[in-house]
Formats: sequence, structure tokens, C-alpha cells
Amino acid sequence: MTAMPAENTPRGLAVHWPLAAFTVAAVLVPTLLSGNRYLAFVAGMTLLHILWATGMNLLYGYTGLMPLMFAGLAGISAYFVVNLTSIGWSFWLALPVGTLAASVAGTILGLPSLRLKGFYFTLCSLVIQTVITLGFVYFASITNGDTGISQIPRPSIPGGGELTGLGYEIVIAVMAAIGIAVLMLIVRSPFGRRLAAIREDDGLAETLGINVTYQKLAAFFIGSLYAGVGGALYAPYIGFISPRSFDVLISMNIWLMVAFGGRGTIWGPVFGAMLLAPIPFLLQDYYTVKDILYGVLIIAVTILMPGGLASGFRRKVPKAAVAQDIPARRLDPRRAA
Amino acid sequence: MSMVLRSVALALLAGTASLAAQAEEKPPVKIGFVTELTGPWSFFGTSCVAGLKLAEQQINTSGKRRIDFVITDNQTNPAQAVAASRSLDVQDKVLALSGPTSSDTGLAQYGYAEQNKVPFIAPVAAFPQLTKPGTRYTFRLEPNAAGWGYAIAKFVEQRKPGAKIALIYSDYALMRAITAGLKYQAPLSKLNIVADIVFPQGANDATVQAAQVLAAQPDYVFVSGAGGFDNTITNQLLDLGIKPEQIIHPFGITTQVINWGKRSVGSFYGTFFDSNLDALTTEGKTFVEQFTAQNGRPPSYVENFCYVTANVIREVIDKNPDVADDREKFRDAMSALKTKETTSGIPIEFDKNGARKEYIYFMQIQDVGEKSYKAKQTFYTEWDPEVIPVYTLVK
Amino acid sequence: MSNANLIILLSTLSTGLILGAIFALVAAGVTIVYGSIWMPNAANGQFFVLAALFGWTMTVGWGLSPWVAALLVIGLSVPLSYILEILLIRRFYDVPNRNISYFVLSLGITQILAGIYAITYGRWSDQFQLPPLVGGITLIGPFPIANNRLMVLAIALAILAALFILLRFHRYGRALRAVFQNREAATLRGVNVRAIYSLSFILGNAVIFAGGVLFALAYSFDLTVAWTMAITAFAIMIIGGPGSVLGAVVVGMVFGFTQAIVSIFASPTIAAFSYLGAMLLILLFKPSGVFAR
Repeated sequence: MTAMPAENTPRGLAVHWPLAAFTVAAVLVPTLLSGNRYLAFVAGMTLLHILWATGMNLLYGYTGLMPLMFAGLAGISAYFVVNLTSIGWSFWLALPVGTLAASVAGTILGLPSLRLKGFYFTLCSLVIQTVITLGFVYFASITNGDTGISQIPRPSIPGGGELTGLGYEIVIAVMAAIGIAVLMLIVRSPFGRRLAAIREDDGLAETLGINVTYQKLAAFFIGSLYAGVGGALYAPYIGFISPRSFDVLISMNIWLMVAFGGRGTIWGPVFGAMLLAPIPFLLQDYYTVKDILYGVLIIAVTILMPGGLASGFRRKVPKAAVAQDIPARRLDPRRAA
Repeated sequence: MSMVLRSVALALLAGTASLAAQAEEKPPVKIGFVTELTGPWSFFGTSCVAGLKLAEQQINTSGKRRIDFVITDNQTNPAQAVAASRSLDVQDKVLALSGPTSSDTGLAQYGYAEQNKVPFIAPVAAFPQLTKPGTRYTFRLEPNAAGWGYAIAKFVEQRKPGAKIALIYSDYALMRAITAGLKYQAPLSKLNIVADIVFPQGANDATVQAAQVLAAQPDYVFVSGAGGFDNTITNQLLDLGIKPEQIIHPFGITTQVINWGKRSVGSFYGTFFDSNLDALTTEGKTFVEQFTAQNGRPPSYVENFCYVTANVIREVIDKNPDVADDREKFRDAMSALKTKETTSGIPIEFDKNGARKEYIYFMQIQDVGEKSYKAKQTFYTEWDPEVIPVYTLVK
Repeated sequence: MSNANLIILLSTLSTGLILGAIFALVAAGVTIVYGSIWMPNAANGQFFVLAALFGWTMTVGWGLSPWVAALLVIGLSVPLSYILEILLIRRFYDVPNRNISYFVLSLGITQILAGIYAITYGRWSDQFQLPPLVGGITLIGPFPIANNRLMVLAIALAILAALFILLRFHRYGRALRAVFQNREAATLRGVNVRAIYSLSFILGNAVIFAGGVLFALAYSFDLTVAWTMAITAFAIMIIGGPGSVLGAVVVGMVFGFTQAIVSIFASPTIAAFSYLGAMLLILLFKPSGVFAR
């Protein structure tokens, strides 16, 4: 964030019509659908996934890391918010605190990425996700275990009343739009270019004088903010959370939205989320089909279109995220010493 | 002018027509029934649906407004239960929700129902918090599980004063609640808990834990595993030399008893309805006969509660036809209901939190066959829902 | 030592041995596949459950003897693996950094299989228990153990021994180990690397299937065991050293005993935490594993 030059920002955004169009659409769609609460809810959930996918895109698309603990981070924020509001905190105060908790956790849990690359980091993040899920089950005094927490109160609005229905969807829409705007700013900034350099070859980036450690951790911090904001908004919106709301399948689903839409592009993952996030809700009666469909898509993306929708169905050799088969140690002898 | 006249005439015509055809033409009343058709609790959910299906055939007699149960699977997954409830509430516009047979899914659905003001009739979910103070839309047929724990202590106290009990169970909300009640009441009943072993969800083996139970030398063993694991624990205890007469299952439904098999003859289980009860009403006997004819096995309390749920909804709507289209009115009618379980004659009346006067039977298994079993009623007790502090014992 | 404590000790030993042998089998299967074709198969747990489910259908559904069913299940893994190899796995043999693609691919397979199980077997998930291979109970001192479990243990150990003999003394085993160590050199020495790839994929899965059907014969199971097994097998593979069958066996045994011992003193969740913690540490500080060549 700090690396973002201020003079770039206003001009860059003002002329950015797709972002303006997205914001208008994001607010308009739930408004038009609000006659049917269910469809409006599906739109709200889709917008939430757009927010998550955008955060995942920063890490996977622009930094080349595949963090399968993303949903776990969202869960940390959600449990923070639920517990804080239950002891009397305002949601609007709990949201930044929960988000910050998720970010700090994300930054710490991102530390292995300094040593591990490609498959090894992904596996490590999968283990971390599993530990987080087990933790959610195990520390039942905070999380109520597998039973989950229900009847999560909705956020109060300053001046009385509760944030429900359309109002809530608009808040999510605005957050999603802000999330996309922030990602755009990052991508155009020198910080974003440094991340891209790390994605292509972090050994080379290091020799070019980029502080890889600092950049990666900053990426984790910011990416986890997306997870955190999404998790905090998710809990009262659904009204129920349990460890299964934030398990590895959810991480995989968010990753799929990014990979399917096209990682490393701003709008690819947004479209990915738009197409994939509503499916489980619209297929309520055939929910199991969702798992199969997502699984087939994961395989299809890996084999047929590693660039995602954004790059079309061009058939090419899959290019792995950061395609390093060997642990960092061997690439960087200094650190092993 | 003529246009106005014509529309007035049309409106009048429509009015009389709708009056005449009201009984037949009103759309059916929809009840969202979200239950465990798959997952570890499916043996409860599918049993429940069998009872419900039988009731559905009987309650929709001609001349009455139809009641349709929209049966949806929750995969024994709380998140799925909420998602399904939301879909039924908003998309299908059901009058009320019902269905869960596990406390975990029941609690999730309870949260949704209370928050969104949808009447919720829980047939078989026993976690105390489902009727915690302040509950408005939820009505529960099954006694609360912390109370069962109280009743188990009473049962053991009566059989052997000062007995030593070992607890071995899976970590589900239901089991947590039962054991919380049991642990609370045990010292009051002068019982000694000598082992307390909990399995995480998805456990597969109990060899070591069964040995620990044996080492504690209990007089009675409280056994409650989730799904197929219940059998595993029971069999491993029996393998190690625990006698069937020492085993108390807090609850037993037909499929469970048949799965425990012949080697469990002599074991005890708790229930709220059983085909072997001493006193069944005439209707209860018919229910057992019809159910057995249709399903090839006798019904137990799960089938009964789901059968009763359908009947209760029918009764409430028959008594006050106008509640069928208004959730608030339906809730009020449920709250004011005073009736009896047609099958066993036990009264149904809800307190201000939606809880019933509570009761339990303990049965001892006499014989187990392929599709049926014999059991003897050995104990019955009833109690006030708040005889022990059920709502503060478990969160 | 009192009888009661002796019973606890013996039950811990027997549980540790059986679980350890099954863990070792699955991890050996995973590590053979990873060592040869670099495929970290996250779907190993789903394959494991598939074997268990087939075993259940054949015995409980069709009434076959559990012996016949076990052999059929392991046999069935061969054509199934071969089809999968042709359809998906083969495409990546020439991709330089294929392990992450394979990892993602196997996560996709995991999701598909989990969805299929939910539709097809979900409604019976409380009933997955197979008839025993042999009946009766043997008393070891004061501790009674089902003969069935002893038989499962014997078979598991026999398969592990056979696997070792195959890898050490058979022509295929030598070729496979050559590929493990150095692909290019193996090619130069005239080893048909692609054939070895196919064979290893099939062999690895057959061993995983054997683990699954043996587990089902010894214990009741449900569909959630798939994910637990997948993570456990990965942990064993990483700690033992990817590609090291010896490592998989030794660490698998250690894990089996850990699980049995920890469940006496603490919740089995703690056992899971300890595996995962150990795996993270190894990943971070010695990613080649304890038994690295």
C-alpha cells in the first residue's frame, strides 16, 4: 500500500469506465432483484465472492502464490467479528479489528512462502488451512465447534435500525468495487510491478534489488485484508457460520473463480466469480452437482485453458504459477546457509 | 361507464366464485421439511421421512386444504440446512419450517427461523438451546437432551444406588447436551462418573478407548456414537467383556436396535415412543401396524415424532383455517395448542419457549431379529423442562 | 502391572500396528506415484474410500465373500488407474514443472469423487461396515482381539513386504528406482521411462486401494475419512521424504502409534495437530524429508 504513488490515483480511476460500470451494475443488480429476496441474496453472495476472488487474484494472479488457506483467513475474521459483537462491540468497529486479525494471521502464515515455492507452498498452505479448520472445531468455546454459531445479529445502522436486505447488498457491492479499485491501483503502481517481477522469477527479482521478503509479506497482508473484509461481511449476512463455511473446499472454489476467469487480469476473476458463485444457490436442489461441476472445471482449466476465460480457449502448455519444482533453499543458497 | 360496470361485475363474479371454490382451489399449504437424507445422521432423517410419508397420506383427505411437505436434504451439514431454509422461506414461501433430526442442523435452522420470523417445528432435535428463553417461533416435540441426561441419572440411581458410570460418546451437540445433564445430575443422584471419553466427528476405532472404559470398572456404560460408529463402540465394548446389561444407549431407534443385533440383548436404551411400549393408544397400534406393513420394520420415536408433526400441523390448520396463510397467526395458534400425541396419548402443550413437558422411557432389549426386535419397558419418568438449569448447562 | 493397564497397553499396541500398517500402505502408494511422475495425489483419500465403498458393495450388496471382494477391489484398481492415466495423467508427462498442475488436477478429482459419493453412497453413510475375513477372538494375555483384525494386520504387512521385494529385486523395481533417482540417466540406460510412469501410477494406486479395502475390513468408516486420510498420507510422505518408500513405511508406523497413544491421553484432534505441525516443520526446514536419499 505504501508503495502506491498518490499522483497516479485520481486520474487513473476517473477515466476508468469499466470500474464505473461495474460499480453501477453491482449496486443496480441487487436493487432490481430486490423484488425476489432470494435472487437478491444470490447477487449479494456473488458480490462477496467477487471481493474474495479479487484478493485471491492479487496473491495468485499477480504474485504467483496459491494460498489454499484463504478461506481460513476469512473464517478468522468472521469468528472475531461474531465474538466481538456478542460482547457488545459495534459491528462497524469489529469489522476492521477482525479484518486486521485476518491480515496479521495471513502475513504470518504467508511466511513459509519465503522459503517454499510452487507445489511446496501450495501444499503448505493446504496444511495450514487444515490446521485452521481443525482449530475452529477444537476451540469450541470460541467457535461452538462443528455445531457452528447461528442467529448472528445484523449490523446496526448509526441512527437506529439494522442493516438488512438491499442495504446490506449495497454495502457488499461498494466493498467489492473498492476492492477492485484498490487492486487496479496496486497493479499500476511500482509495488504491483515488483510483485509481477517476483511472480515471473523471484530469484531474478532479488538480484534486481527488489526486497522479495517485504513485497511478498505486503502482498499477503493486503490479500488477507480482502479475505478478512469478506469474512466479516459474510457472517451477519448469512447469519450462520461453522468451520465448514471456511474449509479447504471454499478456498479451492475461490481459487477456481480466479483461475477460471483468468488470473493476472483485473476482470477475469470478477467474471469467474460472477459465473461460478451463484451456481450452488441456484442449484439448491442439486447441490451435489456443484462439487462435480467445480471439480470438472478445475480439471478443464488445468488442462485446456491455463490462462482462464480471459485468455480464451487457446491450448497451450500449462504454465504453473511459479513453476519451481524444487524448494527455495536450493535456488537461494544464501538463505540455506 | 360500461367498462366500470363490467369490471365491477367481474370482480363480484370472481368474489363469489372464489368463495364457492375456496376449499378446493386454495393452493396447498407448504411446509419446508429440511432433514438428513445423506451424511452421518441419515439413519435418523430417512426414518423420520418414512413416518412423515405415512402421515402425509392420511392427513390430506378430500375436502381439506392440502398440506404439502417440501422435503429437502441438509447433508447433515448445518450450513446446508441454513441454505435450504433460506431457499424454502424465500423461494417456496413455505408457511413453516420443520424437519431436522440432528441438533447441529436443528440449531442452524433454529437461528434462521428465529431471525427471519418463520415458524419452526422441530420434530427430533434435542439440544436445549432450541427452546432457550426468548424463543418465539420454534416449537419442539422432542424433550431436551440435557433433560435426558437428568433422566438417565435417575434411571441408574433407581437400578443401583451409588453406581459408577463411564461415558463414551461422539462429539456432537446432542451428545454434549445429554452428558452435560448427566454430569450435572450425577452427584445429586450420588452417582460416580469414572470415565469420560469423547471422540471427534469422523472417528473410526474405539479399541483403546474401550480398554480405558474397562479399566475404569464401571457398573454402567453410557454409549453414544454417531452413525455407524455407534455400532463400532458398542461391539468393541462387548468384545472386551463389558456385559450388555451394563450398556445404556441414551436413545435407540429401530434401525439402531437392529444394527446392535443379538449380542446386545439385555442392553438398555432411552426412547419417547416404541412399538413395544406397555400402553399404546388404538391409533398408536394402527400406526405401528400400518408403518410396519409399509416399511417392513416397526416405527420408533423418530418416525413417531415426524408422524405427529404432520398431524399437529393438520390439527392447527383445521382448527383455525385462517392461520394457513399467515406465519404470525400460525405461530400464535401453535403456541396456544393443547392436544395429545395421537399414538401414545402423551399431552402436547408448549411453554413460553416452545418446550414441552418432558418424558422418557427406558427399554431393555429382549430379542433382535432381521427386521424386528422385542424390548421391555423398564422405566418411565417425566419432568419439568427446567428441572435442572438446562439452558445454562450447555452453550 | 494391573490387568486393566495391561489391556490398555495391548490395545494401544494392536491399534498402533494396524493403523500404522494401513497408513504405511497408503503413504507408500502416494510416494511411489510422486517419486516417479511427480504427481502429489491429493485424491489418494478418495481412492482409498472408493476401494472401501467397492468392498462394501461387493460384500454387503452382492453377498460376495470378503476375501473375493478384497481381491476384486485391488484388481479393479488396475483398469481404473490405467483409464485415468490415459485420460489425464499422461498429458503432463513432458511438462517441466508438472507437480503443481498435478496437485490442482488431483484436487479437482477429489471434488468430483466427493460429489459422486454424496449422490450415490451418501444415504447409507451410517452403514459402512464389512463382514469379517475370519471370525473369532484371540486372547493375548487378558486382552481379547478379533482374529479379523489380526488377519488384516498380517495381510497389510505381507503386502508391504512384497512391495519391498518388488522394488528391490525385480527388474521393474530396479528400473523404477533408477527413474526415482535420475530420469535422464535412466533414459540413457535404456529404461522406457513412460512405461515406468504408467506402471508406477497403477502400482501406487493398487497399493492405496489395498489400504482402503483393508481399512474397511478392520474398521467401520464413513465418507469423511477420505480427507483425513489424504492429509495424513501427505504428511507421512513429506516427513518420510517424497519418493522414499522406506520413509513412508517407517513414518506411517510412527503415525499409527502416535494416533493410538495420543488418544489415551488427549483428544485425537491433538494427534492430527501434531502430524500437521511436524509436516510444516519438515516442509520448512528439510523439504526433502527425514529419509531423503
